Amino acid sequence: MTSAVRTQGLRKEFPLGWFRGRVLALESLEMEVKRGEVFGLLGPNGSGKSTAMKLILGLLRPTAGNAEVCGYRAGTISARRQIGFLPENPYFPTFLSGAELVRYYGKLSGMGGARLEARVVELLELVRLGGEAGKRSLRTYSKGMLQRAGLAGALVGDPEILMLDEPTAGVDPAGSREIRDLILELKARGKTVIFSSHLLEQVEDVADRVIILHRGQKLREGRLEELLTKKSEWEVKVHGLKEDGRKELRAWLENRGAQVMREGAPRDRLEDYFLRSLPEEKRR
Amino acid sequence: MSSCFRRIFAVAGNTFLEAVRQKVFAVLLLFGLVMVVGANYFTEFSFQEQFKFLKDLGYAAISLTGLLVGLLGAAQLIPGEIERRTILTALSRPLRRWEFVVGKYFGLTSLLAVMVGIMALAVWGVLKWKEVQLLGSEGTDPAVVAAIRAESMDPRLIQAVLLVGVKLAVVAALAVFFSTIATSTTFVIAMTLVVYLIGHLQSVAREQWLETGEAAGWGVRIFLAAVALLIPDFNLYNLIDEIVAGNAVAWRTTIEVIGYSAVYTSILLAAAALAFEGRDI
Repeated sequence: MTSAVRTQGLRKEFPLGWFRGRVLALESLEMEVKRGEVFGLLGPNGSGKSTAMKLILGLLRPTAGNAEVCGYRAGTISARRQIGFLPENPYFPTFLSGAELVRYYGKLSGMGGARLEARVVELLELVRLGGEAGKRSLRTYSKGMLQRAGLAGALVGDPEILMLDEPTAGVDPAGSREIRDLILELKARGKTVIFSSHLLEQVEDVADRVIILHRGQKLREGRLEELLTKKSEWEVKVHGLKEDGRKELRAWLENRGAQVMREGAPRDRLEDYFLRSLPEEKRR
Repeated sequence: MSSCFRRIFAVAGNTFLEAVRQKVFAVLLLFGLVMVVGANYFTEFSFQEQFKFLKDLGYAAISLTGLLVGLLGAAQLIPGEIERRTILTALSRPLRRWEFVVGKYFGLTSLLAVMVGIMALAVWGVLKWKEVQLLGSEGTDPAVVAAIRAESMDPRLIQAVLLVGVKLAVVAALAVFFSTIATSTTFVIAMTLVVYLIGHLQSVAREQWLETGEAAGWGVRIFLAAVALLIPDFNLYNLIDEIVAGNAVAWRTTIEVIGYSAVYTSILLAAAALAFEGRDI
């Protein structure tokens, strides 16, 4: 089976203007995303994440190299039929309502009639913008709602691949959690999800594999367990161990030549604590 | 309906809807209608002059409003979408770039067609209104009544409306072309206006090019040839003035002008699609 996305020597330079030379945005990127995986493109601002995505979408023409989407040359109609894209910020025509936005994107994907109408209703329900919320103008939406409407729009053509550029940037923790859950749900449905982020904690929660870019160059690539697991260390999380038991455990470990690097009560993540503090209906 | 047409109509429909939901276009339409209706209150002329004045001002109002709507609408088309970045989500769909350009053009021309239609109806309404007023004041002499009716119900005005429409359609195509190579809305408006004005002088350039022999240098001849060949001749639409002045214009001539406009529009849209194809978004 062909890869979901494959790039070979993908390079992009942008002209700076007359007689001002060119700037390198992406340097010979080799990347392969397998079908059904959640793939993270990581890096600081200006590292080339968005450029890589735009090249794969065919919005930019490569200076050198090539990209393929499900075996099709990037930028062709066949390739774009496989991708649903959510841009970095919710850049949507705000004179439309949520339902009109999804319908418009469906028509741009060549859909129409009763099939499209049923799909619009189904997707708005999926992103919890069904009913009255879907009829409201996008101008009245919060950032989280806009991202969810955009996600419904990205999914309308039932693409194989979802490409999300900084999907949680500027979204509050509850909205961010919703998007994370949606990514996991899409993965469970067999979709390939490629997303970029500089919020590393969120990436850690959902990505199977990542690449790290810096100034247009690939620094690292691999599965998260391989990249993050410290194989020389071992961690045990216990519940109900009293003080004398802790002392005994520490002594037992030291007797076996192990160095105790850290011990103590674990701290919760602020995001989890914050979400637990909210009333039940606000968490969703 | 094939997917290609569906996508073009989706872009056109969205462009039209965006314009309709913006107050600026409604305000421009209102401005045009006020001009048309207000003209009815100038009554110090003979009835023939009053009709001519109404038609003159009516068609000038349609042309001016249409030009403003065309320029503002075109400025919103592609540079506006690039500035707002809404183009990213549109062009990431299975949509060909030429379909996007053609859809944008159809959206803009639909808007212009609706505006020209509404304003032409307003001109017709004002002419009928004037007819009723004059029939009440000028007496019942059958010759006068017939003359008044002939002025108010002149079928040649349909030719004038068609010509205003196709002239605006060419301006829209020019604006779409510039919007595919521009990076700002100001550039689109400025360039379209410049070419529109040069287009009124195009016939002078063409005559100079054809008439200058070896006397003129190559630089001058190439410049004149470029102006004559690349820029549409907007003087052709002066037929509108002939019609408003009460002179007969053959339908054959009108159809020839429409054909010329269609060819120019097709060339401009093809050039726009070509320019847009290789553009980084």
